Amino acid sequence: MADESAFRTRFRGARSGEGLSRRGFLVTMCAAGAVFGFPRAGFAAMDPAVPDGVPVEAVGARYEPAIWYWIDQRGKVNVNIIRAEMGQHVGTAIARILADELGAKWDDVSIEHVDSAAKWGLMVTGGSWSVWQSWPVYRQAGAAGRVALAQKAAELWGVDAASLTVADGVVTGAGRSASFGELVAQGITRSFTEAELKALPLKPHSELTLVGKDVTALDIAGKTTGQAIFGIDARVEGMVHGAPLLPPTRYGSEIIRIDDSAAKAVKGYRQTLKLDDPSGTVPGWAMVIADSYWAAHKAARLVKVEWKASDAARVGEADIQARSRELIADASKGALLDTGDTDVDPVFARAADTLEAEYTTATVLHFQLEPVNALAFRNAEGVWELHTGNQWQSLALPWLQKALGVDENGVVMCSYMLGGGFGRRLNGDYAVPAALASKALGGIPVKVVATRPDDAKFDSPRSPSVQRLRMAFDTGKNVIAMDTAVASGWPTKVMLPAFMPKGVNGEPYDPFASDGADHWYSVGAQRARAISNDLAESTFRPGWLRSVSPGWINWAVESFMHEAAVKVGQDPVRFRLDHLKAEGRNAGTAPDSVGGASRQAHVLSRVAELSGYGKATLPADTAIGIATTYGQARTMPTWVGGAAQVHVNRQTGFVDVQKIWLVVDCGTVVDPDGAHAQCEGAALWGLSMALFEGTEFENGLVRDRNLDSYTPLRMIDTPEVVVEFVESAEVPVGLGEPGTTVVAPAIGNAIFEAVGVRLRHLPITPEAVLAALKAG
Amino acid sequence: MIEFTINGRAVSVDVEPDTPLLWVIRDEIALTGTKYGCGIGLCGACTVHVGGRATRSCITPVSDVAGVEITTIEGLDPKGEHPVQQAWRHLRVPQCGYCQSGQIMQAAAFLKDIPNPTDDDIDAVMTGNLCRCMTYNRIRAAVREAAATLRGEATNG
Amino acid sequence: MTLKSVLAAIIVVGAVVLAGFGYYAYYPSLPNVSAAERPTFDAATVEKGRILAAAGYCATCHTAQGGQPYAGNYAIETAFGTIYASNITPDPETGIGGWSPAAFRRAMQQGVNREGAHLFPAFPFDHFTKMSDEDVDAIYAYLMAKVAPVSERTKENALPFPLNQRILQAGWKLLFVNFGRYQPDPSKSDEWNRGAYLVEGVTHCGACHTPRNVLGAEEKGQPFAGAAIDRWIAPALTAANPSAVPWTASEFARYLETGAGIYHGIAAGPMGPVVHAGLRELPASDLAAIGLYLGDKVGAPDTGPAENPAVVASLKAGRPDPTYRKDLGERLYATACAACHYNASQIVEGRPELAINSSTRLADPTNLIHVILDGVDAKDGTGGVVMPAFRHALSDTDIAAIAAYLREKRANLAPWPDLPAQVARIRAEGAGH
Ligand code: FES
Ligand code: FES
Repeated sequence: MADESAFRTRFRGARSGEGLSRRGFLVTMCAAGAVFGFPRAGFAAMDPAVPDGVPVEAVGARYEPAIWYWIDQRGKVNVNIIRAEMGQHVGTAIARILADELGAKWDDVSIEHVDSAAKWGLMVTGGSWSVWQSWPVYRQAGAAGRVALAQKAAELWGVDAASLTVADGVVTGAGRSASFGELVAQGITRSFTEAELKALPLKPHSELTLVGKDVTALDIAGKTTGQAIFGIDARVEGMVHGAPLLPPTRYGSEIIRIDDSAAKAVKGYRQTLKLDDPSGTVPGWAMVIADSYWAAHKAARLVKVEWKASDAARVGEADIQARSRELIADASKGALLDTGDTDVDPVFARAADTLEAEYTTATVLHFQLEPVNALAFRNAEGVWELHTGNQWQSLALPWLQKALGVDENGVVMCSYMLGGGFGRRLNGDYAVPAALASKALGGIPVKVVATRPDDAKFDSPRSPSVQRLRMAFDTGKNVIAMDTAVASGWPTKVMLPAFMPKGVNGEPYDPFASDGADHWYSVGAQRARAISNDLAESTFRPGWLRSVSPGWINWAVESFMHEAAVKVGQDPVRFRLDHLKAEGRNAGTAPDSVGGASRQAHVLSRVAELSGYGKATLPADTAIGIATTYGQARTMPTWVGGAAQVHVNRQTGFVDVQKIWLVVDCGTVVDPDGAHAQCEGAALWGLSMALFEGTEFENGLVRDRNLDSYTPLRMIDTPEVVVEFVESAEVPVGLGEPGTTVVAPAIGNAIFEAVGVRLRHLPITPEAVLAALKAG
Repeated sequence: MIEFTINGRAVSVDVEPDTPLLWVIRDEIALTGTKYGCGIGLCGACTVHVGGRATRSCITPVSDVAGVEITTIEGLDPKGEHPVQQAWRHLRVPQCGYCQSGQIMQAAAFLKDIPNPTDDDIDAVMTGNLCRCMTYNRIRAAVREAAATLRGEATNG
Repeated sequence: MTLKSVLAAIIVVGAVVLAGFGYYAYYPSLPNVSAAERPTFDAATVEKGRILAAAGYCATCHTAQGGQPYAGNYAIETAFGTIYASNITPDPETGIGGWSPAAFRRAMQQGVNREGAHLFPAFPFDHFTKMSDEDVDAIYAYLMAKVAPVSERTKENALPFPLNQRILQAGWKLLFVNFGRYQPDPSKSDEWNRGAYLVEGVTHCGACHTPRNVLGAEEKGQPFAGAAIDRWIAPALTAANPSAVPWTASEFARYLETGAGIYHGIAAGPMGPVVHAGLRELPASDLAAIGLYLGDKVGAPDTGPAENPAVVASLKAGRPDPTYRKDLGERLYATACAACHYNASQIVEGRPELAINSSTRLADPTNLIHVILDGVDAKDGTGGVVMPAFRHALSDTDIAAIAAYLREKRANLAPWPDLPAQVARIRAEGAGH
């Protein structure tokens, strides 16, 4: 499996380019299962630009310079996308990178979201990695085509390839020209080795014509006409519907008895299966099978299942947080991140003054709008097909193999659009119950769509967290050490433990539960300890949620920096700038973090200026708060400065966020409009999680399961969001998440500046604000 | 048998009368542009027009719509060129797109009643439609733009 | 007051006056006529009869769920048992095919069937007695000419002794019914008198909107003062009507024609068929006359209410408030209800403004809760439009919170007590339709 390098991918890579495996071959026949009258019922791949999603087929001769695309004799350029489309218009962004380097005409470009064949290598869409990882690979692929086309023309015309230009789908020079299609029709056979690909010359930044320009995303039109096909829309002939019955705890509950007598009255009800899961993904589940969604779910309400619940049924949010505190208090626990000089204890011992604060965050649901779903069946070739939207096929496939008892050639996932990912569909556990139900029924197609409350119950939420931050000062009020401990349930430990890197003390850690603690501030000795909360991990399956740990760790770090500035009597922006020095380990490294802390200092200064921080005269109880982060990870920083203007109502505790500013340095902006959209959405997610979201575990499950009590941001809550990108020719890094990370601390800091109280728990509720105001 | 008209086509369906209209549209009539988000009338993903009014189909029993005219996103305009759809594309509103059928149907019905909405009017009505990708600022702008088109005013671009 | 109370009253009366009314109570059987012996009527009369039959909602009570029109066996459930409406198709055996016009008149105007038996007052002969012979005959003409005969035996009423003794009805009639045709009020206009004639007679509005005394008869002293009916509330049609914007003649007429008023709400629950299977068939002039008469009862001048301070206040209270989350009801309203119940600077027709809606302003939350739980189907209210049903979507607490929000924050009226319990009770009664 290409999974070997799953976590190396954070450090770029994993384009194994293996040959076509048997499975890769088989999946070209994915969904041989017949289709009846519905748009796109079961294809291996999907083109989001056409109503039925059926990818374009090459006509006549075709040339494939790399596995990432082909050009046919009509001149069509079809780009293979291994990333999931979930709103980031990723296919368009990636195709544009390739088309630009190739010199294709944009109108000739189509995209194809491919199946999970092994030849595609690691398939994951998360961590805001897509563009960053694809950038070199697709540029090389594009360059390969450009070179091959030029060579072909040179050969035909008997001229030097170097004298030809390739642009807009045409090769010209020596007074002649030929379209891509014409050249392909002549037959091109040139192939490139991995090494040759790497050595190809790439266009200088100034010659890029598509990257950085506005191009309408290919997936947008279908999303305005109802034609876009999501996983929930998958359909094949003869399919039955499954409604799951979830156990009282995520793990360890057993079914004692199932009584379906009342369900038998429901027209279309067939049976209730007790799922037997060798993969251990969905222990204790039952599945109600019926002829329609409604019959299955109506019957499910009437089936009585008696479970023996595991101990987790007694666990509540407070227990989980208490466990985190206990672990933090034990200095022997956790992994130490590489933060240079980690020996902080002696520094604290001699410090003239110290500051300490605890920050906590509540459990947060993904609540992607399309509830999790999957359609599973065994096709005519005997291969299991899973039709569903998914962000990490390479993670889910081994679970599916185990659940179905087949090897890697026995199961394939087919791509659909995602009605929101936000990390929920990185964890493909939801495909397993559909597969098991189909397996129990001899391979007939079973479609399982979770109800919204079940989706919430079964979510892999963002774990609640506890963080303790300490800072040491010398007599001159200079920062001489910082000590951070962060504790939460770790998604990677639960789902892919072998891929956790090791800390400097040899302990493995989950980067997605610790990124952010190893920030770019120079603070003298620095210790960042990441601790896994075992109670959280045995109670539920912690998940990756948009912006993962930077979403909650930066909340603490950036609130704490503000507290520290106040403590030493400095302006919070000045204080930060003084500690953002591109020196030593914070100097940055090529290619991804060139400039280091100086780029973070720049976005911070710029957002302060843009927002009028410290200058604008604002009404009473109104203030602008500032924060800065570096997006996802030190290895691929997207530098973000954020500001929020809030008004606090002292009577009601209501926090009105009036405006948000983001200044973002993500290197090269590939898709300006898409980048704006991603940052706007990310900023509003940050706001939503800061003020409006958050649930709690109660008796082993999340308390809030639908919109009657779980209350994400809505239009009326939406302030103006101003996003500015730093002009840059550096490597493009991620955008899906970084905007999220600055907003909560900017709001917390703004509240402090407005009314003088410090809030240290997310979400910030009016009750908490009132209580803080009262306390004083 | 319950009979009604959908996108101008007469249909009759043989389902339990308590089946929500949403699942009849998706599963029986096989129009999948209308989405399921919450099932309790609080997200708007399932919004269709019943008798010209934006209606949450997930909590509307199919028996209640006997004899009426229903329009889904697929039937809003034969070519997908309703001014609301045009504005949505022009301003590139959709991200994941899952909520957008409902958003568009809600906006189209709303603009018939209130052709010249203020931002407050837009907020009041559209707040019932959740967008988890949080495309709200663009939705607001697109509603304004579509309103201008529908009123016959030239748009600036 | 429900039918249950009516029947209770019958017991009381029956016990007191049992024997003394033999003479009074006696009616002879009238001759059975064959189809050939029936008089014939011109088309205009038949058409007039169709409209009057609609305005009297005859089919609503005389048609069983899923049954043939007018074939009876519509079950009227009571705590004491079930009464089945009779077959009034022209079938000679099981319907009224053997009835002469005189027999039909006697039933309508005196509450006695052809065989001479007293009818239960579930049949509003106390109103139909006001109708002219000509109008009654027109209904007869319509039933005989246009309704297909259906052979369907009316089920035995499932009433225990002595409730099943029809003779007891005679006593009730003696006490409570003023038999006789409508007498015009010469001090009023013809239009007013026309409205009064229809309202008091064929449309029998008071049957639901007038409270009943302990013996189950309409309180003569409190006409149209409002009453509970079939688990809903029929609001007062007097100055006591709680509407923020008084009902006017034109608002009444619009409501009765379309099923929806701009300032009060829609015809739902038992009122749904009254409009949609009934009154709207009347010519506009009759609806206007009814509006005039009822408007006079309410006492409102027929002026445009757009500038009414209550409307202005309601629209203002309905503006979106960014602090909507502070109250559960307000939050749910903003996210579940406001997507349809919206208005801008003016009320948009067909967009009920809930702060001034009758259901929000009644002293009893029943109607509002019913509508939130079970919505409004396409047949009721504004035809072809539905309101979804929150029965399976929201909890008792949620629905109570929405009702409380509308009542207290939007309409600014005294809180309704025990709302969650009331929602639970109404939910337990099951869907109303
Ligand atoms: S699915 Fe109908 S409102 Fe959410
Ligand atoms: S675009 Fe994704 S939910 Fe709205």
